[in-house]
Amino acid sequence: MNSPRRRRDVAGVPSWLERVFGDPEERLLSLADVEGLAARAAAFARGGGETSLGATSSWAGELRWALNRATLASDRRNHELRVARTIDGARGGVVTNQIDDVSIEGAVRAAERTLHYDRTNPERIPDKPPRFDYPKTAIWSDATSGQPADERARGVQAIIAPAEQAGMVSFGFVAVQATGHAIIDPALGDSLYARYTDAQCSLTVRDAKGMGSGWAGASSYDWSRIDPHALAQRALQKCLASRNPVTIEPGRYTVILEPQAVHGLLRYVFAAAAPLTNRGAEHNPRNPFNLRDGMSKLGLQVTDSRLTIVHDPTDPDLGMVPFLDDGQPLRPITYVDHGLLANLSYMRDYALRWLHENLGFPGRLTYRMSGGSSTIDEMISTTPRGLLVTRLSNIDVLDERSTLLTGVTRDGLWLIEHGKISKAVKNLRFTESALAVLNSIEMLGSPEPVFSPREPAIVPPVKARDFSFTATIDAI
Amino acid sequence: MSLTRRDFLQAGTTALLAATPSWLVASPPGRKPNDGGVPRLNDPDTQELAHLAVQAARSAGAEYADVRLTHVYDRALTHRGSISDAEEMGVGVRALFNGYWGFASGPTWTPQEVRRLGHEAVSVAKVNAIGERRIVDLAPVPANETGHWESPQRIDPFTVPVDEILDFLGGVAVYIQENNPGVDPLAVSTHFTRREQAFASTEGAYLTQALTTTAGGLAIQLEKYPPGEDHQASSDLLLTAARGWEYLRDNDSALRAEGARLQAQLEADWRLPWKPVDVGRYELIVDAAGMARLVDGTLGAATELDRALGYEANASGTSYLDDPVAMLGTLQVASPLVTLTANRSAPAALGTVRWDDEGVRPDDFTLVKDGILADYQTTREAAGWLKAAYMKRGTLVRSHGCASGQTALFGPMLFPPNLRLEPGARSVGLDDLIADLDRGVYVRGLSVSLDFQQRDGWSVDPSLFYEVKGGKTVARLVHAGLLFRTTELWKALTVLGGPKSLRSIPAMRTKGEPAQAAIYNVGAVPARFKQQTIIDNWRKA
Repeated sequence: MNSPRRRRDVAGVPSWLERVFGDPEERLLSLADVEGLAARAAAFARGGGETSLGATSSWAGELRWALNRATLASDRRNHELRVARTIDGARGGVVTNQIDDVSIEGAVRAAERTLHYDRTNPERIPDKPPRFDYPKTAIWSDATSGQPADERARGVQAIIAPAEQAGMVSFGFVAVQATGHAIIDPALGDSLYARYTDAQCSLTVRDAKGMGSGWAGASSYDWSRIDPHALAQRALQKCLASRNPVTIEPGRYTVILEPQAVHGLLRYVFAAAAPLTNRGAEHNPRNPFNLRDGMSKLGLQVTDSRLTIVHDPTDPDLGMVPFLDDGQPLRPITYVDHGLLANLSYMRDYALRWLHENLGFPGRLTYRMSGGSSTIDEMISTTPRGLLVTRLSNIDVLDERSTLLTGVTRDGLWLIEHGKISKAVKNLRFTESALAVLNSIEMLGSPEPVFSPREPAIVPPVKARDFSFTATIDAI
Repeated sequence: MSLTRRDFLQAGTTALLAATPSWLVASPPGRKPNDGGVPRLNDPDTQELAHLAVQAARSAGAEYADVRLTHVYDRALTHRGSISDAEEMGVGVRALFNGYWGFASGPTWTPQEVRRLGHEAVSVAKVNAIGERRIVDLAPVPANETGHWESPQRIDPFTVPVDEILDFLGGVAVYIQENNPGVDPLAVSTHFTRREQAFASTEGAYLTQALTTTAGGLAIQLEKYPPGEDHQASSDLLLTAARGWEYLRDNDSALRAEGARLQAQLEADWRLPWKPVDVGRYELIVDAAGMARLVDGTLGAATELDRALGYEANASGTSYLDDPVAMLGTLQVASPLVTLTANRSAPAALGTVRWDDEGVRPDDFTLVKDGILADYQTTREAAGWLKAAYMKRGTLVRSHGCASGQTALFGPMLFPPNLRLEPGARSVGLDDLIADLDRGVYVRGLSVSLDFQQRDGWSVDPSLFYEVKGGKTVARLVHAGLLFRTTELWKALTVLGGPKSLRSIPAMRTKGEPAQAAIYNVGAVPARFKQQTIIDNWRKA
């Protein structure tokens, strides 16, 4: 290794600095780059043991607009290196975003210092070696990673245009992202590497006096699956149709929840089925899937029997990185099978302690919820009195045990009378249990992708009875 | 997408090692092995990088450009020996072209990379600058300002040996175990951050700052407790502050005493019976921390000028101050008792800086004066939106210095400065407010949620509601909640605590697309409100 010579060139720049980064157009660290970094890290290690490296590098191209004009276009990159040292079962790790030698050596030293104090888990249960049967997942799109900034700019102008022509005001955000994700761990044997892309587009169209608001959004790993023009039209139509809302009394209503509204509720059911704590449903009396101490509701009916909710990484609409940070392959999981609670997810330590098998924790809330054949029009025409809900916002959990939530409707709420949309109404605050909604279903529509960046979900529209609205709110 | 062992072997480990590129060798300016890694801000190389970045943007055609370099260190430890260390460096260039902003950022502090970022920022701004020019009227700053500032600290926590910190934390745990039987110290913890940053602009600024924060935490659990009762509590004594290691070291005995205090607080609660809430209108008392969260969620959010003008409509929401220019100086938003000020100068507060993230020296200013909306939080661009209003009332058009970015990897935007609900004149504390209340409700640790325009709000966990009778808390109210209309609530304020009851708590705002966060402090005093709606929060319609 050469020691840097601090010679200054004519421009007054220390020339050794020029060599730090390779090709600036190379936005992501390749597998070879990361393996090179891992080898450097291993070379710096002292005291034996093993050195592992996780590396994530990303690029994002973004464009934000407000009041019908672009407000910020950006191009952002970053790295994240997770350097870990393991000696005799003790483990220490640190995180840095620097990939030069000095930083990596510093990170290795810091990891070793952390390891020295590792008394947290003296009896760390070893994993069984993972099976390397990684599923094939659809997560990369050249159209996304290669999207030039001017294409984004033109696209956004086309999104703004219909709103501006209608005298409305458009606000929104378009982003594409590409990420390289690697795990180099001697305990796994193989190097794991995956590249993935993310794309999103969402917008809010408001009328100039703030008397109406419409929203539309879509996200996918593949930009070409997003139809910005359709989104622009949808948000504009929602805005126009939502203007000058009238006040209605809160109370119980039959609701037609568009997929985005259903997704707002489902997140909390998922948080119970795959809790981000080392306490599974069996041992957490506050978990809605807890039956009694030491026992979950597995095998019992928890929703309407028409519902099946699966997490399947091989689903072309639900692609994810096929391996987890501990090298476990991502597995398909059926959480709800025709209304019965079929499986739960557990974090590693809990799974090994109580189930003696770590099946891997998906980490992200991606799912496909089964639907039915009804259209939203059919749901409306069969409703004597009810509400059509675009989406839910500002949601808080009131009672975890019963998935009791509160929040507000947003960006389009309409009263249905005698099978027809009769008028736009002011937003309402709701107080309702997500699981109760899944047990009060009258009709189901065709599942479709919702706006859920980096956590894809396929969700049907739902018609449900007795949805509880507890207050009117003035926000539009 | 993943590689198999066979692929790996075919590529050959030797070949991979031999092919280690030369860019792995050099390091950013000022870094030496094991020095804690923080490049010294006075390293001429750092200033050179900043200079190169703005030069590159200017030569690419920027009307204005600035660059931020940030280096953040983060360390968290618990008494059980878990240590987490993280560092992140970033450099971000922002450029203005024909009224359109471009931003480019990355993790690499090298001349080649900062030049690329300078060009890229202009390039992405240019592609949006089609059609008519967007008017960006940046409020002026003094030209060619240079300087360095550090948040006051006596002991840099990153220089304190890990052993000393673990001894300190372990000492607190052992003290509580030995002196407070039945109290189990679940975690004694600390968390430090150090953020070094440099700023330069095409207006000749070069400003460097180092901001340190320190927090101390204690979570306890009582071994014996009545069934169904809460038996865990966390200390709020040493919440995150812009202080050094001395913040913990000087408060050693106070932190040790928290074990007994938390135990007493839990046990005092158990002695009060649970009572179903009788839904209705009540006199309401809110403690200082609850008032701080109320200020933050309502007036604090509503007076962000970008939000009031709709810039956050597709993200965190808009504001009930929806005609901000017309409302300025005329709209009554609260009782005449209410004055809300803002600053980035309060000692030890998280929003305190010498310069904001666009090189502005923030001033202390008043957002609400005697209940009337007096001003908004602004950046240089946002101050320009108020030009007419400011000129009409004869005040200078200047930014209040509210520009901030989570790190240099994010473009700066408008974030709240430190906020302060000014105390009442009389020397009144929380205990006096409760003692003076014949019949009503006291809420401890009020936490609120609001709609996307802050018009309507409701309490959420962990707010604790108590029935007050004859000046005493007599019962806990089961699942009670507060439901309010923001403006009505603030107009119903009847008593404010005095200066001694002021409490300042850390706050964090997340906004923008992509979402980013900033931290600041909100100071407030306890208060009494008339006729507030108390509901059963769990009751459906």
